[in-house]
Amino acid sequence: MRSEAQSLVTRTGIRPCGPGSVGVASAASDPAVINIRDLEVTYRVYGVQPTRALRNVSFRIAPGEILGLVGESGAGKTTLARAIMRVIPLPGRIERGEISFMGADLRAMSEADLGKRRGRDLAMIVANPRGELNPLLRIGVQIATVAEVHLGVSRKRGLEMARDMLHAVAIPDPEQRLRAYPHELSGGMAQRIVIAMALICGPRFVISDDATSGLDVTVQAQVLALLRKLVREQQTSMLYITRDIGVAANFCDRISIIYKGEIVEDAPTGAFFSGPAHPYGNLLFAAFSHDAELRRRWMGNAPAADGDAAKAPCLYAERCFKRQARCLAEHPALREIAAGRLVRCHYPVGR
Amino acid sequence: MVQAVNGVSFTIAPGETVALVGESGSGKTTIGRCVLGLVPPTAGSIRFRDREMGRRWNVRSPALRGRMQLVFQEPGESLDPRMPIGRSIAEPLRFGSFDRAARQRRVQEVVQRVNLPLGILDQYPAELSAGQQQRVAIARAIVTEPELLVLDEPTSALDPTARADIIELLVRIQRELGTAYLFISHDLSAVYQVSHRIIVLYLGRILEEGASRAVFRTPRHPYSVGLLSAVLLPSPGLQRETTFVLEGEIPSPIDLPPGCPLATRCPFRIGRCSTGFPAGETVGPQHVVHCFRHEEVAAREQAADTFEEFQRKVQQILAVHEEMTEAEPLGVPTLAEHGQMRRVPGDTER
Repeated sequence: MRSEAQSLVTRTGIRPCGPGSVGVASAASDPAVINIRDLEVTYRVYGVQPTRALRNVSFRIAPGEILGLVGESGAGKTTLARAIMRVIPLPGRIERGEISFMGADLRAMSEADLGKRRGRDLAMIVANPRGELNPLLRIGVQIATVAEVHLGVSRKRGLEMARDMLHAVAIPDPEQRLRAYPHELSGGMAQRIVIAMALICGPRFVISDDATSGLDVTVQAQVLALLRKLVREQQTSMLYITRDIGVAANFCDRISIIYKGEIVEDAPTGAFFSGPAHPYGNLLFAAFSHDAELRRRWMGNAPAADGDAAKAPCLYAERCFKRQARCLAEHPALREIAAGRLVRCHYPVGR
Repeated sequence: MVQAVNGVSFTIAPGETVALVGESGSGKTTIGRCVLGLVPPTAGSIRFRDREMGRRWNVRSPALRGRMQLVFQEPGESLDPRMPIGRSIAEPLRFGSFDRAARQRRVQEVVQRVNLPLGILDQYPAELSAGQQQRVAIARAIVTEPELLVLDEPTSALDPTARADIIELLVRIQRELGTAYLFISHDLSAVYQVSHRIIVLYLGRILEEGASRAVFRTPRHPYSVGLLSAVLLPSPGLQRETTFVLEGEIPSPIDLPPGCPLATRCPFRIGRCSTGFPAGETVGPQHVVHCFRHEEVAAREQAADTFEEFQRKVQQILAVHEEMTEAEPLGVPTLAEHGQMRRVPGDTER
């Protein structure tokens, strides 16, 4: 165990398979690391219509790929992250759909099995890193514990790995920092610690939920560069959830736009940012335009994401200035308009 | 000892927007509070019109009440959750010489000015979206027609579309009412759009100041260059090119050593940076920089306005050549009729 854990930080390629870990055979049958199909999550509250937080969400993430999930607050981004980790708070529940990780069905897995995987094969980095850390424990112990629990290493070895990890996330003087308490860290430093905890077991898949939005720009740039380097080195796949399309443009390989719980556009980053196909994708650009007329045309009257309030079959019709009779009669399906480009619109923006 | 703000001097003219930018901990909010007289300065003076703020006068003094106002970052937290919107907005008028009818007229007028439906007056903050809450906060601030508005990160907690609406609203209010803004933000895209002048702060010191366009195009201080080149615009690869990066983070402000506060991170540092803070040097019209080696920075860094370039790109993307047909009328209630929005439960972004 000792020798194989040793090189986790700098290893490129796939981490070794311990007992109960994901086998190579299942990976070969499905090249995607994460494959989500027709996922539906609702929040049921007594006396009111259930809120459909996710509707028919499907996507795959290839090994080493960073998928950016972009949407406004209330669009279902955090719900999706929690659905994958199976930690949706009540009264939310997964109604339908498949979540498979390296060929294993995460929905059918027992809680005990899933518990072993969380933190080892699947990891999550959230915003507010301070809330993630135990204020009473030194950070070295907190990072080492992850390795001890999941990789079965000793405390001594765990602390060594923690030190290597701190070095990898570019924290100066790692030996000293292992003994620091969370309150002694700056926000950027705490975020790096949380990243170190998420990556110490060399997970195959990491979800980042708005993880860098609280940081200052210069620190954000450093943390993103670091995250990208580590993810590339370990061939980790990533779901990068954000509402900052500036970060998405510069960090992700592919972009998925989520609106009211539906994926409305899915495209390679370059293609999306040279011209979105869905009107909502264009609206996200319009929000940055200084040209008031252009902005008004694309943004129209803009209600926020709003559960089930819209009655039109196309959920975006309410805000769309291009809507036609068909949009009020028929729900658009997510369809391929060019290689690798999916859009949920009857009348995508042609270019 | 924490010296939160050190040797800062600037003026704001009527109808002007001055932006304070810098990382968290640079003293932006402290300056905003000093301007309102809420934090008395240890040394120096702050004058609003003819009054010395801080010692005798502050924003609560009867003579100044309503002439300067404040808008916060978190609209949800700056509105009283148990007060209907109408009462929240009318509150600053309680001390004026307004009768009930005049107050009501004023409130209705201001609600329309910020593009909210009148029906909102009877609702409570929790029933509104974050963007609407921020409109309410702005309405409450401008109901007294202040001369100065201190805006402390007014767009940072908002979604992109709500952010765009608030920026547009602020620009329009300034045009219509001639209000001066002290715009505190780390969102440089927003700053680029609204501000006339910009002040770059670091650990309580002004490092560079000037006309907004000039500083964005030709930053002369290494910190300004680092800050501008770290901004990620929504266009892959469109980042300000630079010959260096700023390492590390903003250090603790406790017991700062003498000299330039950036000396610990600056790739241009030389011996005397850690002994004395450089005096301001004028490098253009109203463009002042505090750096011993600003000429070398200027020689190495090319003039570039990536924000302007991004605007051209957006223009290009949105100006698609196709027939823009009129939208089909909807059978569903419009925003105004619907009146309110509910957030999806379980979403914990704020």
